[in-house]
Amino acid sequence: MKKIIIGDHIVKSFGVKDDQRNVLDGVSVEINEGEFVAIMGPSGSGKSTLMFALSGMDSLTNGRVIFEGMDLTEIGEKELSEIRRIKMGFIFQQPTMLKYLNIIDNIVLPSMRNNRKNAPKIAEKARKLMRRVGIGDFEKRDITQVSGGQLQRAGICRALMNNPKIIFGDEPTGALNSKSSEDIMDIFSEINMEGTALMLVTHDAKVAARSDRIMFMHDGKIVSELKLEKFNGKDIEDRINEVTVKMREVGI
Amino acid sequence: MYNRIIWNDILKSKLITLTTMIFVAVAAMLVSLAAILVFNLSGSLDTLMKNAKTPHFMQMHSGEIDTVRLESFAKQNSNINTFQVVEFLNIDSAQIILGNNSLANSIQDNGLSVQNEQFDYLLDLSGNIIHVSDGEIYVPISYMRDNTTKIGDLAIISGKEFVVAGFLRDSTMNSSLSSSKRFLISTNDFAEIKDLGSIEYLIEFRLKDYSAIGEFEAAYTSAGLEANGPTLTYTLFKTLNAISDGMMIAVILLVSALVVTIAFMSIRFTLLAKIEDDYREIGVMKAIGIHLSDIKKIYLAKYAAIAATGSILGFIISLMFQGILLENLRLFMGKSENSYFAIVLGIIGILIVFLAIVAYVNGVLKRFKKITVAEAIRFGTSQEKKVVAKRFSLVRNRLYSTNIFLGIKDVFTRKRLYATMLMVLVISTFIIIVPQNLFNTISEKSFIQYMGIGNYDLRIQTNTAEKIKDIVKTIDSDSAISKYVVMTTKTFKVKTSNGSEENIKVELGDHSAFPIAYSVGRAPAAENEISLSSINADELGKEVGDVMKLVIEGREKDLRVSGIYSDVTNGGKTAKALFSDNTTSVMWTIICVEFSDKSLVDSKVLGYSDKFDFAKTSDIDEFVSQTLGSTISSVQKASFAAIVVALIITVIVTLLFMKMLIAKERYSIAIMKALGFTNSDIRTQYASRSVFVLIVGIILGTLLANTLGEVLASALIASFGAATFSFTVNPLTAYFLSPLMMLVAVLFATKLGTSDAGQINISDNIKE
Repeated sequence: MKKIIIGDHIVKSFGVKDDQRNVLDGVSVEINEGEFVAIMGPSGSGKSTLMFALSGMDSLTNGRVIFEGMDLTEIGEKELSEIRRIKMGFIFQQPTMLKYLNIIDNIVLPSMRNNRKNAPKIAEKARKLMRRVGIGDFEKRDITQVSGGQLQRAGICRALMNNPKIIFGDEPTGALNSKSSEDIMDIFSEINMEGTALMLVTHDAKVAARSDRIMFMHDGKIVSELKLEKFNGKDIEDRINEVTVKMREVGI
Repeated sequence: MYNRIIWNDILKSKLITLTTMIFVAVAAMLVSLAAILVFNLSGSLDTLMKNAKTPHFMQMHSGEIDTVRLESFAKQNSNINTFQVVEFLNIDSAQIILGNNSLANSIQDNGLSVQNEQFDYLLDLSGNIIHVSDGEIYVPISYMRDNTTKIGDLAIISGKEFVVAGFLRDSTMNSSLSSSKRFLISTNDFAEIKDLGSIEYLIEFRLKDYSAIGEFEAAYTSAGLEANGPTLTYTLFKTLNAISDGMMIAVILLVSALVVTIAFMSIRFTLLAKIEDDYREIGVMKAIGIHLSDIKKIYLAKYAAIAATGSILGFIISLMFQGILLENLRLFMGKSENSYFAIVLGIIGILIVFLAIVAYVNGVLKRFKKITVAEAIRFGTSQEKKVVAKRFSLVRNRLYSTNIFLGIKDVFTRKRLYATMLMVLVISTFIIIVPQNLFNTISEKSFIQYMGIGNYDLRIQTNTAEKIKDIVKTIDSDSAISKYVVMTTKTFKVKTSNGSEENIKVELGDHSAFPIAYSVGRAPAAENEISLSSINADELGKEVGDVMKLVIEGREKDLRVSGIYSDVTNGGKTAKALFSDNTTSVMWTIICVEFSDKSLVDSKVLGYSDKFDFAKTSDIDEFVSQTLGSTISSVQKASFAAIVVALIITVIVTLLFMKMLIAKERYSIAIMKALGFTNSDIRTQYASRSVFVLIVGIILGTLLANTLGEVLASALIASFGAATFSFTVNPLTAYFLSPLMMLVAVLFATKLGTSDAGQINISDNIKE
């Protein structure tokens, strides 16, 4: 299978000269096209940092990240921005929305850059996505007028607007209740089935259980991996148990 | 602990700390200077007028004088302390040569005088009464100031030689605004030279009770005493003496108000940016139970340190600069007795600046109360509650690029935040355009019509009535002259509304030959009509159509006011009429001449100056430039200075504002970058915000400049006598170059202020 992202001996250090700490300590990962990867690990293990490093949102101390054959550490800020805008989607734990734009404007934002002539088409696509994730009626609402779950759905719509190759999620259900969380995960599974690769950072076994592969991190290193069958909507309890056992095994 | 925190913080933001401190220092310097100057001015002025024993009332008079009648008036009026009649020998300025310089081009009425015996003394530069010896001459201080002459120079007055023995302070005629200048010579020399000029009398009184000057003036007028010339009072002398330094103090105060405002704004913006930077830390400090006042102290201490250093620095600089600014004042009026007290006042001034800053910072820090721990720790920035501008939606936007749209939308959504910047831009536009328009207006050739001067080429002015016929005869036979008119000015009495009588100077002649601009009505066209200068119309309470009574040789004559015009000549108090009168003596005559060939003007001026050496012949352009030239060049300098000041203010305020915005909006910027917006996209968004605010600012500023600015400029000019005028706008500079300069300044500051946006790290600001 074709690899979409290759992380090659990634090192990310924080701190001052004499007191440096490697948050990522020579991590190498590969993600295939259409693959759903979950990253688990205790707090401070470097999960989010890895996600930010692979998506080009953070600079590396050492190592390389290859996205579709392009070395993200070598290209300029403009090209990197374009890759993030067109080929990647992002969903964060807190809904990262611009406060002075309403829901639909926030969703269309990345698609509208240099593309205002296609505004009607873009708006139509946004409405379609909003209906699909169940927030079709909230188009003109302020971001303060909807719930956290609804905002997270809006975030998903925004991430999907440019038909990305991969969506990165940093604890996307972390701030939601279990019902909302399940709904969101259903949407993620659906997106993945349609061929978009996913890389989610999570603490939650229920979320990880839907993935194809789970990477376990500890002290800036990938210490273990668990491969699962492609999730088809069935046997979720068994998958959760399998993940939980593995988590215990690696000490999370 | 505070010292360490403050020091670290200052080291981290050296440039901003330095800028703020410079503003505080400049503000403190100006306030302290203004205080020092005010006290020195009032002190020096009092000393000068006390030592010189300035007259309380002075009536200038040319023509015959009845000393006996004046003496009997002085005896009868119980309020008179002392009284004297001083002779002032008017000398044609072309007949005065000081060293290598002739005063031929001077528009001052230069004349000779002897030292007075009772009061109105002419003083030397140490403030002592001058005792002049034969062959010596003391020269008015203004000729030392402009380097016309120096001590030891040879002075030739109407052919007689003198040695410049020193310079004199004249408490009545020192000011450049006063049109006469007295030179001091000995009594013997005066007697010798007396026939070479025309005598003008200064009838002077010192009163027992100056507060009753109003009654005294009325008594003098109603007694029908000599009054063929201007009337001046102690208050007017004081004003004239104080005006040039007073104006400098007013300008310093104005500028200091402006600098204090900018200092406050820069403190506000940097402090808000700092609070946004430290938002999480403030939340944590609150969370662990540090008292609010203790948190405030950390911030307050830093600004108190900046304010204290700035104020002390400003005070020291003001002490260094005071010498330069006091130089003129000390030269013209002498040293003040209040100089030590002035320094104390300067210290009080800087203390006020210091306390105002501390109070202001304390006020801004009140927002700490609003910071909730949960919000601060969770978001790390303030979560403003905003009403989204609903009608302005990205999905419906076809007009602007997305970046420009986002910039403008932000301005609409957070109008209050941008109000301060808008205000600064409006003010900057205003202070760029108004002086520029004022300069264009007064430097325009047609502006002389507002000054009460018609559009002719040459004027010949003489006080010698007998020789008018000679002049007219010569002019009449000169074929190069296409048109001329003779205007005689006489003093009449006018009945005021309360029945008392006042003097009024009326210019008689054909006023249609060289028309002037009338603010209301028209020039007098019939024998029973009169037009008034705006100051006279105001003082007499007359409007067009009103009837006023002139008293001519004891008989009353009704005249209808046909128009009101602006005038800057003769103190702005003039009137024009065309009735014939042979009874009253002529004060002066002006012959206005127009040439068919303008290139002849220069040679004709020279020719007529030689021919009529008893009269003052001047090219009208020269006349205007001498009357208004210094004002025009001051306004031009002021307008350049205004442009520089406004642009500096614009750059600094925009820069600080943008830095504050970037600090406030790190989170939004990180989101944008995560979503694939480039650094240049983000800079474009910020530039659109500032350019949008700038466009609104320029429009409002220009509207304000052309309305309020015109009114203010009119008021300023009205104080010199011109009533109404409309701005002459140079569209290229006012509507293109000035906005362009503002645009360049704003874009430059925005680029500089948003340069940090590129350094904002996505993961630092979004990572949970």
